[in-house]
Amino acid sequence: MTPWEALALLLLLFTGVLVVTLRNAIHAALALIGNFLILAGIYVALEARFLGFIQIIVYAGAIVVLFLFVIMLLYAAQGEVGFDPLVRSRPLAALLALGVALVLLSGLWGVNLAFTKDLQGGLPQALGPLLYGDWLFVLLAVGFLLMAATVVAVALVQPTRPLDALSPEERKEEKEVVR
Amino acid sequence: MLLLTILLPLLGFALLGLFGKRMREPLPGVLASALVLASFLVGVGLLLSGGARYEVEWLPGIPFSLLLDNLSGFMLIVVTGVGFLIHVYAIGYMAGDPGYSRFFAYFNFFIAMMLTLVLADSYPVMFIGWEGVGLASFLLIGFWYKNAQYADSARKAFIVNRIGDLGFMLGMAILWALYGTLSISELREALEGPLKNPSLLALAGLLLFLGAVGKSAQVPLMVWLPDAMAGPTPVSALIHAATMVTAGVYLIARSSFLYANLPDVSYTIAVIGLITALYGALSAFGQNDIKRIVAYSTISQLGYMFLAAGVGAYWVALFHVFTHAFFKALLFLASGSVIHALGGEQDVRKMGGLWKHLPLTRWHGLIGALALGGLPLLSGFWSKDAILTATLTYPFGGLGFYLGALFVAVLTAMYAMRWFVLVFLGEERGHHHHPHEAPPVMLWPNHLLALGSVLAGYLALPYPLPNLLEPFLKPTLAEVEAHHLSLGAEWGLIALSGAVALLGLWLGYTFFQRKAFPSWYLTFEAWSRESFFADRVYNALIVNPLKALAEALFYGDGSLLRGYFGLGGTVRTLGQGIARLQTGYLRVYALLFVLGVLVLLGVMRW
Amino acid sequence: MSYLYASVLLFALGVYGVLTRRTAILVFLSIELMLNAANLSLVGFARALGLEGQVAALMVIAIAAAEVAVGLGLIVAIFRHRESTAVDDLSELRG
Repeated sequence: MTPWEALALLLLLFTGVLVVTLRNAIHAALALIGNFLILAGIYVALEARFLGFIQIIVYAGAIVVLFLFVIMLLYAAQGEVGFDPLVRSRPLAALLALGVALVLLSGLWGVNLAFTKDLQGGLPQALGPLLYGDWLFVLLAVGFLLMAATVVAVALVQPTRPLDALSPEERKEEKEVVR
Repeated sequence: MLLLTILLPLLGFALLGLFGKRMREPLPGVLASALVLASFLVGVGLLLSGGARYEVEWLPGIPFSLLLDNLSGFMLIVVTGVGFLIHVYAIGYMAGDPGYSRFFAYFNFFIAMMLTLVLADSYPVMFIGWEGVGLASFLLIGFWYKNAQYADSARKAFIVNRIGDLGFMLGMAILWALYGTLSISELREALEGPLKNPSLLALAGLLLFLGAVGKSAQVPLMVWLPDAMAGPTPVSALIHAATMVTAGVYLIARSSFLYANLPDVSYTIAVIGLITALYGALSAFGQNDIKRIVAYSTISQLGYMFLAAGVGAYWVALFHVFTHAFFKALLFLASGSVIHALGGEQDVRKMGGLWKHLPLTRWHGLIGALALGGLPLLSGFWSKDAILTATLTYPFGGLGFYLGALFVAVLTAMYAMRWFVLVFLGEERGHHHHPHEAPPVMLWPNHLLALGSVLAGYLALPYPLPNLLEPFLKPTLAEVEAHHLSLGAEWGLIALSGAVALLGLWLGYTFFQRKAFPSWYLTFEAWSRESFFADRVYNALIVNPLKALAEALFYGDGSLLRGYFGLGGTVRTLGQGIARLQTGYLRVYALLFVLGVLVLLGVMRW
Repeated sequence: MSYLYASVLLFALGVYGVLTRRTAILVFLSIELMLNAANLSLVGFARALGLEGQVAALMVIAIAAAEVAVGLGLIVAIFRHRESTAVDDLSELRG
């Protein structure tokens, strides 16, 4: 393992810890951005260059920004809000997380794979035939999913307009019908 | 036509059951008695014309068949004849009772069922009658059902009978399995040759005898008879003295073709008969209820009948049935007259000195007691002596039986005198309003019964005097070789039994008039009063453990139900416990979620 | 290979974050962390098993985008009328 790799992994983990521990939401989001950037670098090192770029553009550039927008919209910058009824759950949570880690690690135990596949750098030229070949259906399905998500997102945040749009007489009729 | 004898009293049962309440006294009684008399006349008429048969399709392989031959005709005469007299007596005895018509309905039903039993030509038909008389007995013992004790006595009788009935059914089953038929005539022919399966047949014989043990109150199923005195006195007279209890003897006689081939079973029958005779006689000494003394006497006399049947002398047993019907019914009805005279008193310790007050009943009592005791020339003497002789001459008999029977004869004479002395002689121990004699409707049956008690014995006199009964019954019974004693020996024995009877009677007469009794007698009397603790032993060994078992099962059943309800409660508690996991907090759910994932992964991994 | 171990640790960190955070947004952030850890492991395995891993990782990113859109829309819709975004306030579905 080259020193760069070691450094990258350390930073990865460090930013990850920051994300889950920082109190201020905005700080945590920024730590997440850092995490994503390092991750993109790691992707490039792993011969997944296209993916690395997508990571930066979509994940760090769109998704976390969306997060930040919502944080600011809701004034939800504070991490710890209100009274915590489950104070004693923290050690248990740590234990469970540790348990998950152990189980997954044990799954990796004894895995002997040769990481020597020729991925042609993970460039679009290499990924394209796959995407529009075997994985076409999946691609189209994900596209459809994105469209559905857009509709949902818009629908969710509509204010309760319909009733407000009625004039007072029409609103009374509506209420009588409902009764 | 033969069916008419059964249908007439059955008609009486139906009419009185449905319309009896609307009839005024004494119409139910008169109607019932008339129907029984009609039955008697029809039966005698058919018998004189040579017998009758009746057969109709019934169950597959088992026709409903009735047969009137000499044997069943003989029994029919006893049942309807003595039955008629007791019906007439009951017209007077039950006067004023609110259940008057119900009583006669049940009484007629009993006669119908008893006739079914007697006239049956196949065992299932006999069993119908057998169960029917058991039912009638239950209904009549518990006639005054509002008294819990009387109801319990009725139930006790029915249950003990049932034990015997099981034996009857099993015996029938074995016969069916062996011969494929349950018709008595057919079985009689089938058993003519060599026996098919002797040990199994012996079992069948024993089982049928078990039925007789239950019905005729032999040891060990005799405990119901003394308690059956809870019923009205006519019931005790008819059912528990003259007719129903002799059904067992009739069964043995009817099945004589079977028992004549089974020496061991017959020996057992004779032994049980003797034990019962002894038990009944000994227990009669300590009883203080006027009817219970007579009840134990019945048990004892039934033992005599089974002794005779056991040694092979079936006609002798039936002879004793005949004479016993007269003098026992007389004793019961005389007791009834005494009870009626004293306004309901039944304790002999509160009786006495009635000789002066009851001019006619006193003779009834005396004749009955003397006949029972075996005073020479009365009926009881002849039939008892026939039994004594039979134990020495018939194939399954023996000297032991003779001596035992002789001893019991002495005891019988003694307790018969005790009965008479305590009731009629001595000073008046009770405080009664002036005792009045019974009305004519109750006296005339007793007159006729007394006459019967004196003369009935002359039906079968010992050799060389005329014996009408034995040849009359012979064709219907099994052929049993009986060797004959020499004339001198026979009459010598007769003289001996006569002397013994006189001795017993005199002993009883003098001993029981004493003021004070020796201590050994008092101890004996105390034991006798408890009938030697038979009831207590049965309660401890059988009744109470079964009751405890029943209670335990009942409790178990209830707790099983409660367990099922409790199951619901347990599930509810469990549910409530689990529901506490749903706190509503998202993070708790998330924790549980991750925990679940961990468990799954762990299981998959290993 | 070490990347795979790293992805496991990252995932465990994400789980810890989900269970511990009390603001809905921060919980969501931890979920994103978990998704990325999975992506890392996919890419890591792609190096041994073929390009399909990278294609799958691409799909995951797209789906994650959709999920974030919907999820944030939900959070906005829920917390618009309340003053706080505390997760513990949503406790009406109790047993």
